[in-house]
Amino acid sequence: MNDSSSGNPLTRVRGAYSSATDSIRDRWSGAPSWVRWLVYAVLIVLALFLPADGIGSFMSPYTDWPTLLFFPIGGYILLGIGLNVVVGQAGLLDLGYVAFFAIGGYAMAVFGVKFGWSFWEILLVGIVLSALSGIILGAPTLRLRGDYLAIVTLGFGEIVRITANNTNYIGGPNGIGGIPHPPSFSEWTIPDNGLFDALGIGGVQPFKYGALDGKPYYYLMLLVIVLAIIFVKRLENSRVGRAWASIREDEDAAELMGVPTFKFKLAAFAIGAAIGGATGVVYASQAVSIIPTNFPFILSATILAAVVLGGSGNLPGVILGSFLVAWIPERIRGLQEYRVLVFGAVLVLLMVFRPEGLLPSRRRKAELAEGSGGMGSMGAEVAGPATVAAGEVSE
Amino acid sequence: MLLEIRDIHVHYGKIAALKGVSVDVDEGEIVTLIGANGAGKSTTLKTISGLRPLSSGRIVFGGRNISKVAGHKRVLMGIGQAPEGRGIFPGMTVTENLFMGAYARKGNVEKDLKEVFDLFPRLAERKDQAGGTMSGGEQQMLAIGRALMTQPKVLLLDEPSMGLAPKLIQQIFSIIQEINRRGTTVLLVEQNAQQALQIAHRAYVLETGAVVKSAPAGELLDDPQVRAAYLGGGAESAI
Repeated sequence: MNDSSSGNPLTRVRGAYSSATDSIRDRWSGAPSWVRWLVYAVLIVLALFLPADGIGSFMSPYTDWPTLLFFPIGGYILLGIGLNVVVGQAGLLDLGYVAFFAIGGYAMAVFGVKFGWSFWEILLVGIVLSALSGIILGAPTLRLRGDYLAIVTLGFGEIVRITANNTNYIGGPNGIGGIPHPPSFSEWTIPDNGLFDALGIGGVQPFKYGALDGKPYYYLMLLVIVLAIIFVKRLENSRVGRAWASIREDEDAAELMGVPTFKFKLAAFAIGAAIGGATGVVYASQAVSIIPTNFPFILSATILAAVVLGGSGNLPGVILGSFLVAWIPERIRGLQEYRVLVFGAVLVLLMVFRPEGLLPSRRRKAELAEGSGGMGSMGAEVAGPATVAAGEVSE
Repeated sequence: MLLEIRDIHVHYGKIAALKGVSVDVDEGEIVTLIGANGAGKSTTLKTISGLRPLSSGRIVFGGRNISKVAGHKRVLMGIGQAPEGRGIFPGMTVTENLFMGAYARKGNVEKDLKEVFDLFPRLAERKDQAGGTMSGGEQQMLAIGRALMTQPKVLLLDEPSMGLAPKLIQQIFSIIQEINRRGTTVLLVEQNAQQALQIAHRAYVLETGAVVKSAPAGELLDDPQVRAAYLGGGAESAI
């Protein structure tokens, strides 16, 4: 596996990076549980202080940092977590994931504007609706595999957007405006004294969802992200997660082991869709108005790129990948029209440097070395560096 | 009769892969299906284990018609398969692979695990290694061991000798005999007809989707036609 000792400089750098991440992962999996909880707690506290102005002036000189943290960064991370269930865990290539984001967004808009429901009620309804639409999409199509499934899901994403564009009830191309913000919990203000001022969050009202301040929305997104991570992580370590892993690695073999593959694929679709829908609801609750062009195909592709870039199947990797994909284009806004070119070049470079993703799971590495599993279902039989074509001589 | 396959037809799209195959497997037997590439051997196995739907005919297992039963439910009824090309889970360790074999059932798994390790000491040595990083022979052992973990009444083996060195083939075949001696019925699909006929009790010869001959395995070993076509005996041998 380890090819770091020889080869050109690029291979050596890759090898060094690879063994560094490996050793961190080993230490992490060997760490006692209190260490892990401590790290989780520290990470959450750090995330709470992330929108501080001091960090923002470096991270985002061109845009309002807390708003950026809410969307695209937070939104992409949540979408990435959801898509990772489908692509990274169950190994199903979904190119129309944006559809569920749109369904969540429109649920928030329609129920908020036309029925006057509150955000929390709609969050629940939006999750249920998008999960249902995941099942409706999956039930007839999950018999397809690999590229064929990808094409059908791509079509689904477009159908949802075009339907929204052509339905007068939901505003057609003009979308829906005047979407209510979530009700404020309390007017409580973080004290404006020295400590919190120094940390850059003094005077913030974290539970008051107004029109101006992006920070409360960021905290809301953070809460949903943390809940989604806990949910997904628990699934991953359960029987369900094992079933998904087996389907991803060899679907026929999984069926032969007694795994009801169709049911579990449907479950992956529904859960992924539910998380996408939740993102849509939260997004729309801040955005005030949404239009069909908020949900283009390229967003599906971008989230997929984020998942693959970060390390499909590995949650920290997916979060890192989503963060980078959301943040880099904003950070380099100063390059103006060259922005997308540079962004594309960065993505290409990262994939040349780390074809298995920035932080792949060990299991994923083994799958890639074998040239099967997850991404194998993209129709691309990716041969790993150590792979010799299997000696399956037919005659 | 433990397993009866009655006149099954299977289609890939419009192309008929099986045109009326009938095979019987009795309890305690080793039955082998031999035949050239594309004769329908693997398709027959996949249809028995439920990976392929059949267009007509029926499959009766233990007296029950299972033609319409989903594949994952047939596992619990006692049909275990080591698939073509081994089909092990490359990212899982050997032990995790074996535990997948016991995924669907409840009860004590450790005892079965011990039995598999007993049968394949090599797997015990490598129990924490990722399945994808093992050699072809080890992967084949793993595939068979994993199928045994499902506690099959009948074990379906799809070309266990494929791509293996002659010495390993010997070893795999003697293990198959041992599995059979311990009480598991075996339905074996092989291109390596010589080896398969030596360990099997009965054999069926498949050609282009139909059974053209069935007889005790020993008889087929001496059959001039079979020798010519599959055992490399005749001068006019097609291979």
